[in-house]
Amino acid sequence: MTQAETTTKPRYATLLCVVTAGLLGALIGVALTATTPVPGVVQPGAVVSAGIPIVRVLLDLAAVTTIGLALLSVLVGYDRPKLTEPIMRLARPAGVAAALIWATTAVVTLILQTAEYKPGSSTLSASDIGGYIANVGAGKALVIVAVLALAHAGIGALALRYGEKIPAEVRVGLGLFALLPLPVTGHASNWNYHDYTMISMELHVMSAVAWTGGLGAMAVLLVSNRTLLAHAMPRFSKLATLCLIISAATGLFNGLIEISLNPTIGFWAAIFTTPYGQLLILKLACTGVIALLGANLRWRLMPQIVRHNRTALASWATLELTVMGLAFGFAVVLTRAPVVAS
Amino acid sequence: MRKALVALALTVVAVLGTATPALAHNVLISSDPANGASIAAGPQKVSLTFDQYVQGADVNQIAVTGPGGGQWAEGPISVVNNVISAPLRPLGPAGKYTIGYRVLSADGHPVTGELTFTLTAAGTGTPATVDAAKSPGSASQATSQSSSTGVPIWVWIAGAVVLLAIGLTVALRSGGKSVEEKN
Repeated sequence: MTQAETTTKPRYATLLCVVTAGLLGALIGVALTATTPVPGVVQPGAVVSAGIPIVRVLLDLAAVTTIGLALLSVLVGYDRPKLTEPIMRLARPAGVAAALIWATTAVVTLILQTAEYKPGSSTLSASDIGGYIANVGAGKALVIVAVLALAHAGIGALALRYGEKIPAEVRVGLGLFALLPLPVTGHASNWNYHDYTMISMELHVMSAVAWTGGLGAMAVLLVSNRTLLAHAMPRFSKLATLCLIISAATGLFNGLIEISLNPTIGFWAAIFTTPYGQLLILKLACTGVIALLGANLRWRLMPQIVRHNRTALASWATLELTVMGLAFGFAVVLTRAPVVAS
Repeated sequence: MRKALVALALTVVAVLGTATPALAHNVLISSDPANGASIAAGPQKVSLTFDQYVQGADVNQIAVTGPGGGQWAEGPISVVNNVISAPLRPLGPAGKYTIGYRVLSADGHPVTGELTFTLTAAGTGTPATVDAAKSPGSASQATSQSSSTGVPIWVWIAGAVVLLAIGLTVALRSGGKSVEEKN
């Protein structure tokens, strides 16, 4: 067995890849769903309508980072503080920063969605934002998300001071809980089946975020530390398998329900001709690629990782995370895209 | 790991406990005049029927654009459950008219679309001067009010980013020091 490396040099390039892929996915989605202006109707400016998905994907990735960093504490365990503390000393402030970015992007999304709600005016007053919060569920949800993310940052700041005496499970739980309000107000579900599609959508979001966040936190912070990796990777792998199954099944269920319940367009036409259907196909393709990359990680790399051998995990995980980022980008457009031909 | 699963299970229970009815994007089911219809005389009003209720906020818009670009819908928009309608002026020249709409869908997303009908016999009406029909709350009034007291959108966003920077600095400074002191 080779000498275990215990360097703590994080791989920021991975983070950059994910964020770039997320923005790219959102922009592809925006291009797919772009519509020609309707004559006589005042519509929001291009900056607002492109800004919403861009800020929303940043919000999602901030949530992924926050929850992933909280999960990292759980994955590496608490019984070897000498090994884990150097990593955690990087992870905790990063978690606080991610939670603060999460809260801020929620507020910026609220501002942009208010501007979209009242098109034709380049200014906003506090009463406009208040009116949006009062009239539209998404406004209330964004306020709740911002408050929960701030609370998460507060707990994270306590963890900075008191270390793992603040249980990481609290941060994981609060983080996952803060994911819940937004899907409730999206058009994630249709009227007739809303009970099932709602639960399915919440499971979809939570599993996708926990999966991406866990892998991301390990790829950025743990990849050069083979001892901890050998401990954390098998634990993560169980979670990842569960998340893959849940997110693929729930995503397919929700997408197909949303398409099939549109009364004005046939099922196959909706899948291949509407932006909603095309985005669904793109996400399905992403899921397939992620599953293959995950299988490669699970069956080819993990036996080596468990034996503390040097592996090409960093590159493979970065590739997988990039595809995940792309899927998040498609998702933010998908949640607001109507099932109509453009 | 087990604790994480317990946390996950608790969260799932929380979801099931708090799940509320969620709503979908409205889909246009029918309209009067119908899409692509040819009519001899203009109706008194245009109405659009969706598959779910339209929210009666003051941001709903219906515009009827005539062959010469004139606007023919005028007056307050009324919303009754799934149907949104706007009064129509007596129509003028024969030709293709476009009904454009932007309504607040049941799920809170704005839904836009357009459909057309053809007027086969010219009427005597003249186009309206307003851009589009407005809701009872009158969006134009609200817009002018807000523009007099509001600040540009970028100021709001810049404010949020500045707050983020302050928050980051305070949180990481104060927290980071104590860890360094302890270790």
